[in-house]
Amino acid sequence: MRNQEGSSVKEEFLRKWIRGLRRYSCEKKNMSFLERKKAIKLSADLAMASTRDKTIRWSQALIANAASENVCIGSSSAPKKSSRKKKMMLMRRSRARVKSVKKEMSSARCIAKRLMEKRTRKLKNLLPGGESMEDGCLVEETLDYIQSLRDQIEVMRSLLTASQLIINPS
Amino acid sequence: MEQATGVLRGSAHDDVVLESIQFNEEIRGIMAPAPAPENGSSFTALLELPPTQAVELLHSPDCAAAAREPPCHVNTNQKPYLLDSYGGNLTFPSNAALIERAAKFSVFAGENSPPEDAARLAPTSLSGAVKNEPQETDSNPCSTQGCVSDPAVETKNERTPKRKEREKKGKGSLKKSKGIADESSGDGEKLPYVHVRVRRGQATDSHSLAERARREKINARMKLLQELVPGCNKISGTALVLDEIINHVQSLQRQVEFLSMKLAAVNPRIDFSLDSLLATDGSSVMDSNLTSMATPVMWPENLADGNRQHYQQQWQFDAFHQPLWGREEANHNFMTPEHSLLSYDSSANSASLHSNQLKMEL
Repeated sequence: MRNQEGSSVKEEFLRKWIRGLRRYSCEKKNMSFLERKKAIKLSADLAMASTRDKTIRWSQALIANAASENVCIGSSSAPKKSSRKKKMMLMRRSRARVKSVKKEMSSARCIAKRLMEKRTRKLKNLLPGGESMEDGCLVEETLDYIQSLRDQIEVMRSLLTASQLIINPS
Repeated sequence: MEQATGVLRGSAHDDVVLESIQFNEEIRGIMAPAPAPENGSSFTALLELPPTQAVELLHSPDCAAAAREPPCHVNTNQKPYLLDSYGGNLTFPSNAALIERAAKFSVFAGENSPPEDAARLAPTSLSGAVKNEPQETDSNPCSTQGCVSDPAVETKNERTPKRKEREKKGKGSLKKSKGIADESSGDGEKLPYVHVRVRRGQATDSHSLAERARREKINARMKLLQELVPGCNKISGTALVLDEIINHVQSLQRQVEFLSMKLAAVNPRIDFSLDSLLATDGSSVMDSNLTSMATPVMWPENLADGNRQHYQQQWQFDAFHQPLWGREEANHNFMTPEHSLLSYDSSANSASLHSNQLKMEL
């Protein structure tokens, strides 16, 4: 699907990302480590999302979330993350418990159905804006998302190694 | 309207039954039998189809709109086309569109010169078709090709209550849908056969057909995903595949986080000292540098997130070694872009590539 435009997507992503980062550095000097990390990640995510069409849902959802949250780079994200993780763990545990109770009582088909529901729910949680998607859409979006993430990671990694090598030439 | 249907049904019924039976038999003889889907509304149903169908769906997902020809042009002459092209590019969605239209037409009491169609059908019905009927057993519960021929389907359904039960799929009573379809099929038989990927004994109303089309499309996409995610090809079973996909997405997201952290650590300023990037070409520098990059440049002390401790352990490895993100398989895919960096000369290319890009940008 996106194979032909691979390198151009990466270039576009890099350009937008650098542009975003420059804006950050202009606005705020002397950011802390975490702030920098957040800024880098956010601008990378947004840049990647902006390279995708309007028809791709996860990118629009990502941009919309970023815009609505009005992400403050200064605020710490760590507690938010850990609470989210705890919540997910709890939900997982409760679902496992429910499943084990019901297992004997239901037929194989119900079990399979429940397994699938569990996983699609998980996938929906992973994907930005995924909760409102249904099966077919979800699979397509996941495809696109995985490809975008890979491109993003490649570019980020190359930039990282390049800057590392530049900064530490010896 | 109904009188005409009654008359036509009587006259063409037998022929159509024979026709449909023979049709089914031929098709089943050629197609690989597919097991009945367990649950129509979940992914588990999807993997029942042979892969070729999924691929076909993949390549022609949205040609339903393009392929809206009137179903009356689909006639028995197309049978060889159908059988030959099963291995080829049979466009399923177009069939779904045709089926839907056929269903609609049949509901509205067949237009398009029904007697002419009946006449067309009659000569093609072969004699020995009737004896094939009893041979259809439950072992071949669904051929992936069938016709919109409900009398034939219905008789078989009566013989195999198991099949009927399996095909309920929570869509309401099968009998009811059969009944409705039967009435319409009386008219539908006047139309020539539409090549539907209907499993034997399943409801052939437009809703279930559309749903089946949708499911097959989803299945095609899942196959693509399987190919994309490393290590998924060998896994059978959608749940496990989904698990792999989920893990893969999670690992990718974690990588992004990690890389952004590394980037933040590398640079005190986040515009990555573009001047220095542009200035130094770095090709001569690369060779000696790569081995020295075994230890990180800086490692920040404040690792608030527990997740990051996982990363910290990996600093022992060479910086270019792909850290284990918790899944072995994820590495194999990422090694390939990483290999370009590992090999000395291409890392120079990547750095200079980036500096070139940045130059272009500026």
